[in-house]
Amino acid sequence: MEIQRVDTQRAYELILEKITTLELAPGAPINEQQLAAGFNTGLTPVQEALRLLEHEHLVRITPRHGVYVADVNLPDLEQISTLRLALESLAASLAAQHATADDLAVLDALRQQQMAADPADPRALFDIDQKFHQAIAAAAHNKYLAETLDHFFGLSLRFWYLVLPASREAPSPLGFLPGSVEKHLALVDAIRSHDAGAAESIMHAHVESFYNEVRLVLAPGK
Amino acid sequence: MESDSSFSQPDGSGAGGLVLGIDTGGTYTDGVLMEYESRRVLATHKSLTTKRDFSIGIEQVIDGIHIEDPAAIRMVSISTTLATNAIAEGKGKRVALFLVGYDPELLANFQMERRFATPQFYYFQGGHDLYGREKAELDLPGILAQVSKIRGQTDAIAVSSYFSPLNPDHENRAYKAIARVCDLPIVLGHQLSTKLGSVERATTAALNASLLAVLKDFVIAVRRAMERRHISAPLMVVRGDGTLMSDEFAARTPVETIHSGPAASAIGGRFLSGLDNALVVDVGGTTTDLALVLGGQVTVTTEGATVGEYKTSVQAANLLSIALGGDSHITYTREGQITVGPERVLPLAHLAADHPEVGKRLKALARRQWAQATPEWLEYWYLVREPPPGLAPTPHEEALVALLRGGPQPFPEILKALRVLHSGQLEVREFLRQEIVGKAGLTPTDLMHIAGTFSCWDAEAAGAALDVFAHNRWHEPPEVTAQIWGRITEMALHAIVTFLTGKRLPPPGAVEVDRDPGFGPWFFYNSVYHGHRDLDSELHLRHPIIGIGAPAGLFLGSVAGALHTELILPDHFEVANAVGAIAGTVMVTEEILVYPRMNEAGLEVIGYYSQTGEERCEFDEVGQALAHARAVSQQRALGGALRSGADNPQVVLEETVDGLDTYRIRAKAMGKPRLAR
Repeated sequence: MEIQRVDTQRAYELILEKITTLELAPGAPINEQQLAAGFNTGLTPVQEALRLLEHEHLVRITPRHGVYVADVNLPDLEQISTLRLALESLAASLAAQHATADDLAVLDALRQQQMAADPADPRALFDIDQKFHQAIAAAAHNKYLAETLDHFFGLSLRFWYLVLPASREAPSPLGFLPGSVEKHLALVDAIRSHDAGAAESIMHAHVESFYNEVRLVLAPGK
Repeated sequence: MESDSSFSQPDGSGAGGLVLGIDTGGTYTDGVLMEYESRRVLATHKSLTTKRDFSIGIEQVIDGIHIEDPAAIRMVSISTTLATNAIAEGKGKRVALFLVGYDPELLANFQMERRFATPQFYYFQGGHDLYGREKAELDLPGILAQVSKIRGQTDAIAVSSYFSPLNPDHENRAYKAIARVCDLPIVLGHQLSTKLGSVERATTAALNASLLAVLKDFVIAVRRAMERRHISAPLMVVRGDGTLMSDEFAARTPVETIHSGPAASAIGGRFLSGLDNALVVDVGGTTTDLALVLGGQVTVTTEGATVGEYKTSVQAANLLSIALGGDSHITYTREGQITVGPERVLPLAHLAADHPEVGKRLKALARRQWAQATPEWLEYWYLVREPPPGLAPTPHEEALVALLRGGPQPFPEILKALRVLHSGQLEVREFLRQEIVGKAGLTPTDLMHIAGTFSCWDAEAAGAALDVFAHNRWHEPPEVTAQIWGRITEMALHAIVTFLTGKRLPPPGAVEVDRDPGFGPWFFYNSVYHGHRDLDSELHLRHPIIGIGAPAGLFLGSVAGALHTELILPDHFEVANAVGAIAGTVMVTEEILVYPRMNEAGLEVIGYYSQTGEERCEFDEVGQALAHARAVSQQRALGGALRSGADNPQVVLEETVDGLDTYRIRAKAMGKPRLAR
């Protein structure tokens, strides 16, 4: 309802943050009253926000057992990664064909930001990485693709927070964060020279390495 | 201090729906509950504004009104001085202003950079000319590099491109690119104003960006207060021209709420009095605000609203605000003339009520000989609050605070204690500015206590102070009182005459009778004081005066007399602001510019553009372009008004010629707010 929108939006953003950063762990029960009290808001906005999150597969609402954070599991990971691999590669290929000078300026600026970022601040690096993927999706000039990718990127966020502690302990076994700097560099060059094939394969490798790492955390030894 | 006046409430059945109006002022939050269709005021309430969290003050108002059935409330509407105050006090967020296609040298030469309302402004290549043609290529890499550079140093970004109302392409491109590299809110000039003044547009964009978070927090606070009191109804916010917008719109265009308080009070005054043509005079504690209502509408300025030192391109009510109010300081000039204001002080009656020893000292002073009891002894300084940590006080400030911890002190004692001879030597400016130390003195509010028209505080202390003030000049108190009210009348008349005529007049008190003042000032002062032996003159105001605010009756009686018109003090005038918040109409304006398309050489017109906010259509003939502009603007204004909560909005088209072969088509859709069911 229109009247609730401001608080619902705020509740949505706060709960989403809690879920993606694993403060609300996968599979954990959600206490609506507690959340409402914590946000200093009513119960209604929280419930509305949870319904929105259910729609995005981040929350499970069962009639008997209440509200839970959606699980993170291997089958989900496989399904999401398959789709994202294909779509991100498609986006990179389309971007190489359709990117404008403005799109390239944005990609250049993000690459500059990435180089200037503190390597010890993985969240900042990840934030730039996310913007980089969104900028490539925008450069593909297909709004449906961009929307779909945004959705799946959101779902992948939790995987990244799962990997984060592991990559902190043993500084990036695959070096996927610092390594992405060079990958981005190569990717922007491929897009600039309209090399759709190269752009597609660089992106494919980049996304694949991320999921490989997640797989290691979720199912070590496999 | 809270006052309360609840009236009988109907049981809600059959009522056309209740509406709740709230005005969040700098000092008070006022509320009024009204039955919308019958326009009957059911209850009013006043409580102190809680700046740390506005929702507290708003909830107090809602509680004070004793709403029996929150579900019966169909709309909540709110006016606020929040934006105006945030700008005046520099409390907006940090803004980086990106100027595209502006000439840095020109702006520096004319010292226009101070007007941008932010110290962070950057120039980039780009912009368009007055035919909407690209003047220079947009320097997007430069813009994006700057965005990365100012990371963490700014809270919002405003972009204004040269001639963007004619062609917003560079602003839109900049927006898309900036939004992809950072998460800050971005404001574009052309979305706020279709006026061509490039500096005002940049200022407006920067101010809007700095106020986004302020207004958003405010809207959330109001929504929360409503929710806690189980009020589920649309929320409207008053604009600076007195019309209403939905809260979502307000959160995006906070700059439009500049002056919404005075505009709401003018509309409230009109509504409560039922008059369609009137001069509305709102007498507050610090200022007196004038607005003119014609044909039931508050007149608006053709130029943009000015707030503090910044000129914007925001449409706002035509207002004149003068530093004269119930708490204006009454003093003598060196020449012995009585002056009222511009400084605002705490009334002595109020200080004496809080500190009884002040009353005793004033009474003792009144018994002393006139030579010892000079008017400086009537000015008291007092400690408002303990200085917050982190300030670096001057030695004077430290000594002053130590002195005032023992209670308020008259000014001569302060000079003595701090071992200086006159006020110019005191280095305490910062503590006064930050309201750590306050001043009290003789004010019109004290005179009202003496006259018995107002009786919150210590009338005896006020009487003693007036005795001292009068006797020092060998006058009796009633005589001096008459002189003070005469001065106040003159100031108010001066403001009214200059406001209505737009003509300059030397400031009150500046005209000396024995010098030749010229005909204009002579005519004015002769009409006020009727001093000429042979020739009398009079001023006649064609409209009645609606007085608003507690001191209005005393301030304005003789003003109306001198203008040969009636003074109307409507019921509930103490909460006219809150009434105005619900009495406004919902309005959405959509403007389209039609201007010629020139050939490359710029010599020949080869077609016409119809430029709406985001899209530009091209036509061969000016007639086709105008027809398109009319249709599109009407349709958009109507849709916008419906989305903003207008009930059955009506559209009015206005067309003006704006310079060379350029036409401005403005569709205004207006309607009463739609009440929730």
